[in-house]
This record gives sequence, C-alpha cells and structure tokens, in this order.
Amino acid sequence: MLEVQGLGKRYGDRWLFRNLSFSLGKGDALVVLGRNGAGKSTLLKMVAGLVSPSEGTVSLGVADSRSDLGMAALDMALYPALTLIEHLRLAGELRGCEPRAEELLESVGLSDSARLVTSKISTGMKARLKLALAIQPEPGVLILDEPGAGLDEAGVALVERVCAEHKVRGALVLATNDGREKRLGNLELEL
Amino acid sequence: MGMCAATVFTMKAPPAGNFPNHNLARIIFWHLPCALICSLFVCAAPYFAWRYLRSKENNWDVRCAAAMEITLLTGLLTLATGIIFSKVQWGDYWSWDPRQTSFLIVMLIVGAYFALRSAYGDAQKRAANSAAYVLASILPVLFLIFVLPRVLFSLHPSTTIIKNEFDSTYRSIFLSMFALMLVICIWMYRMRVRAGLLEEAVEELNAGMADSNHPTATGVVRPVSLPNQSG
Amino acid sequence: MASSWGREITAIFRKELASELRTKTGLMTSGLFSIVSVVAVAFATINKRTDPTTAAALFWIVLLFSSIVSLPRTFTIEEELGTGDLLRLMARPHAVFWGKMLFNLGLLILTAVILSTLFFLFARVSVASPWLFVGSMMGACASLAGGVTLAGALVAQASNRGALAGAIAIPLLLPLTVVGIAALRVAFGEPGATVGARDALGLGCYGAISMAIGPYLYAAVWKS
Repeated sequence: MLEVQGLGKRYGDRWLFRNLSFSLGKGDALVVLGRNGAGKSTLLKMVAGLVSPSEGTVSLGVADSRSDLGMAALDMALYPALTLIEHLRLAGELRGCEPRAEELLESVGLSDSARLVTSKISTGMKARLKLALAIQPEPGVLILDEPGAGLDEAGVALVERVCAEHKVRGALVLATNDGREKRLGNLELEL
Repeated sequence: MGMCAATVFTMKAPPAGNFPNHNLARIIFWHLPCALICSLFVCAAPYFAWRYLRSKENNWDVRCAAAMEITLLTGLLTLATGIIFSKVQWGDYWSWDPRQTSFLIVMLIVGAYFALRSAYGDAQKRAANSAAYVLASILPVLFLIFVLPRVLFSLHPSTTIIKNEFDSTYRSIFLSMFALMLVICIWMYRMRVRAGLLEEAVEELNAGMADSNHPTATGVVRPVSLPNQSG
Repeated sequence: MASSWGREITAIFRKELASELRTKTGLMTSGLFSIVSVVAVAFATINKRTDPTTAAALFWIVLLFSSIVSLPRTFTIEEELGTGDLLRLMARPHAVFWGKMLFNLGLLILTAVILSTLFFLFARVSVASPWLFVGSMMGACASLAGGVTLAGALVAQASNRGALAGAIAIPLLLPLTVVGIAALRVAFGEPGATVGARDALGLGCYGAISMAIGPYLYAAVWKS
C-alpha cells in the first residue's frame, strides 16, 4: 500500500535524515517518533508528496493521491473566510468524491458549528475539521501529524476512533511525541 | 591576451567616413557580437529550463543559470558600448530608440530571473520556479529582440548583416571578433557550469562528512515498544 | 473527464469569490489604487486637456499597476495563510490555475470598468472609437490576467513574495504596454494612428497564449 525506499532529505550541507525504508500494508499503523526538528513532519509531507525527497522514492500504489490519501497536520491551515461545511464541499468537489459534509461534521462533533467561518472557531475545532477533511475520501493511506495536539479528552478519543476505523481499511502513518498516541500503531520509527 | 590581440586587430579597420567620430565606428566590432551572443544565450536558456522541468536533474538548472549569467554579462556590455556609440552618433547617451529600449527590457527580464532565484532558499523550488519563469519569458523576449525593433522606427540599422552591407574589411574583422567572443563566452559558460556542479558536489561532500561525524537519523521500523504500564 | 475539470475549476473560482466577497481585500485594493491613481493623474493635468497618446499611456500604466497590486494575491495568500498544503492535497494544478486565473480576469474586468468610468469623469478623456476601446480593454484584461496570475504563481512560495510579484511581472508585461498603448491611442482618437484593432488583437493573442501555457508551467512548480 505504501512503499518507501532509501528516502532522505538534505537542506544545504545537512542531512535531516536518510536511508529510510519501510513498507506498510492494509492494517499497518506506523508511529513516527523523534525530538523536535528531527524531521517527522518533513517525512510525513514527503510521503504525502508535498515535499520532494533529496534521495529515494515513495510509492503510494494508488492512481490518484487526492482521493486515496488523506492528511491532517498541525501546521496545515484552513481558509479563514470559509465555513466548515464549505471546506468539506470544496474538498469533495476537488477530489471528485461525495462531500458527506453533514455526516462528517456530525462524526467529528462539529455539526452545531457547520455555518461558522474557520477564523471564528477554536484550535481544537480546527483539528477536528482537519481530521474530517483527511478521512473524507475514505483514503487508503491516512497521514496524521500530531493529531491530538490542541484536542480535549473527547477529541483524543475521536482521534483514536478514527485511527481504529481507518486501520480496517488501509495504512496509517502518524507522527507524535504523545505516549498515548503511540499506542495507536503497531510499528514505530524513531528519527 | 586574446582580447588585447583582438583590440589591436580591430584597429586594422579603416575609420568609417560616414560617422561623426570616424575612429569610434570600430566599437561595432564589440557591440554587435555582444548583442548577437546575448541573443544566442537568452534563446538557449529556455531549452535548459525545459530540460530541467522534464528531468528535475540539477545539472540542467546549473546550465540554465550559467546561460542567463552570460546573457546578463553580454547584455550589459551591449548596453554599455551602445550608450557610448549613442552619445557620439546620435547626441544622447540614451536615445529611447526601440532596439535600445527593448534590449534594456530584456535585461530587466534577466535581472528579474536572478531576483526570483535569490528569493528561494530551497534548491529544488529555486530551480523549478526559475526554470518556469525562463519559459514564461520566451514570448516577451522574442518579441522584444526580433519583432518590436522592426515594427517601430529605429535609429539602428537592421539589415547590416542580413543584406551584407559591411565592406569587406569590416565584414572579415566583424566575423573574426564574433567568432573570438563566442569562443570566450562558451568557455566562460562551461567554466560556470563546472563551478556550479562543483559547488553542488562540495555541498554534498560536506553533508556526507557531517553525516559521518554526527550520524544522521536513518531510522529502523520496529514493532511498537510500549512503556511499562506498572512503571 | 471534461465535466470533472469544469467542476474543479468552478470549485476554485467559487472559493476565491466567496473569500473575496467576505474580505473584499482584492477589490478594495485595486479599486482604491485606481481611484488614487486617477485622482493623481487628474491633479497632475489640472486645467489641461490630455492628448490621446499621453492619456493612453497613463491609462495603461494605472491598469498595469492595479493588476500587479491585486492579482498575484490569489496565489501568494495561500502560502501566507498556510493553506497551500491543503490545496495541494485536494486539487490538481491545472484546475487551481484556471480557477484563480478566471477569478482574476473577472476582478480585472471590474477594475477596468471602474477605472474607465473614473478616467472619463476626472481626466476628461474622450473616446473616439468605443468598440476599439472595449476590444482593447478585453485584450488588456485577458493578457494582464494571464501574465500576472502566472507571475503570482511563480513567486507564491518565495520569500518577499509581495514585492517580487511586481518585480518579475512588470518586465514580462512591458512589451504588452507598447501594444496596449498603441491600441488605446487609436481608440482615444490620436490623429494619424489607424491600426488599433491589430494591436487589440495582439493583446488578446498574448492573453490566450499565457492562459494556455500558464497551467503547464504552474503544474511544473506545483509540488517542487
């Protein structure tokens, strides 16, 4: 499902990491660990195709990454002038999948805030919306970068539920420094 | 030494009688080859840019940047020699002649290319965006070099080479100077490409040495090791 | 497949329109810039009637700078807000470029209408050939929207992107200025100038070419 071969990223004369190789199949969940600045987010972005690798390859084994890959990251922003429901409708139209806006907002506990613009919602609510956007196309590969950051207990439970549901369908890559989130994986990679 | 010999060589040309300053007519041996070489390199750069965007191989970006550097150098020399000639022949340093002005705009486009490069810290983004800019500039550059000066009235003669209007001494000296300057520019271009590739190699070597002194994270995937629950 | 492209382009266009209608930043910027520029032109030529060539040059310069002030924003704002990654995950580059470019074209046409109205009111310029004026405005809007949108796309991920957009767009668009002014001076009734339609067509052709190659160049830098 996800094949990473000899992956490395170099910034100028400094390697962030190199020679990373792993392969994930259906039901696998890889937890990426490491201190701040170790390159966890960069690795996840490389897997998602947002950052070019300096060496190595990433094969997702999917025809269209828009509908087979979902990602939620702490540093990924939302459109401040669009409402929650407009985000999901936009994403559905661009990905060519059913928007399932009301259903997804209900599942992440945001149905009451559907018509609010994202500049007026809290960090935790933004994290929930990002989670909804990530799982919208029912992707084969789900990538989560610090998914529990900014979330309350109910939010953390939501992340655990989403991860558990996703593992039935595909592979999961999760970067975290949270001991509880580490339990969500069956494989770990320390940078 | 070659350039000194070339300068002496240009003195073999007789002073041009129909120019206000007969001796300064010899500036054509520097001005015209520079303009032609500048046009050659500015047209070669999009090819290198296209190759980079197709292959994403760094050596094509180095070639593209080197071609643009030679374009800038020869373009500035063209403008400098043109300004001197303009003052003597037409009475002003800058005559707002269409060819003079269009060449200045080409230099602004080349300058913008370097401004764009300097604004990107990441090497891959720098290479891709500047290559795309070079390709986007093909149409304006071709229009400025080949179309605009011929559409509007220009003080520059535009048929000197095409209609072979040089006298035989001027023609042979011009062709020799053009060949000599072309060889020098190609040599400079090759040196610049080699230097660019060496810079890249040195950076990679430094990264490799830093890696051996303080090993970079390589990471091994293993089953999750959970902390002891009781502890 | 064609309907999928249409749906994606429309989605991007609607997103830009919704953001613009709620923030009004782009229209406010270009509108205010147009008003200030026309007032400056009128003030500089107070009690004097501007000749057609000067009026055409001033009009073009104001339109060029209005476009540079407002149009690259559609791309640069994505990186400033940090939404670039979200967009790259969801969309295809051709759809993003076309959606944003069509939005920019609409914004620029609106700016041109405001600018023309103000110009005729304040700067006391008359139009000798209205159809040529409309034709050259359409050509100008198409070519500027194509060119400036592409420049915005190329600088979006650079540092100092706001100033850089103008620095790289202006040299690329300067050749258009020659053609655009040539068309407008005929429209404004410059004696002896006759072939404005050819220049207006030239502007339109440049616009068509930049719109055609722009998406491919943007796709090449989309995930670099």
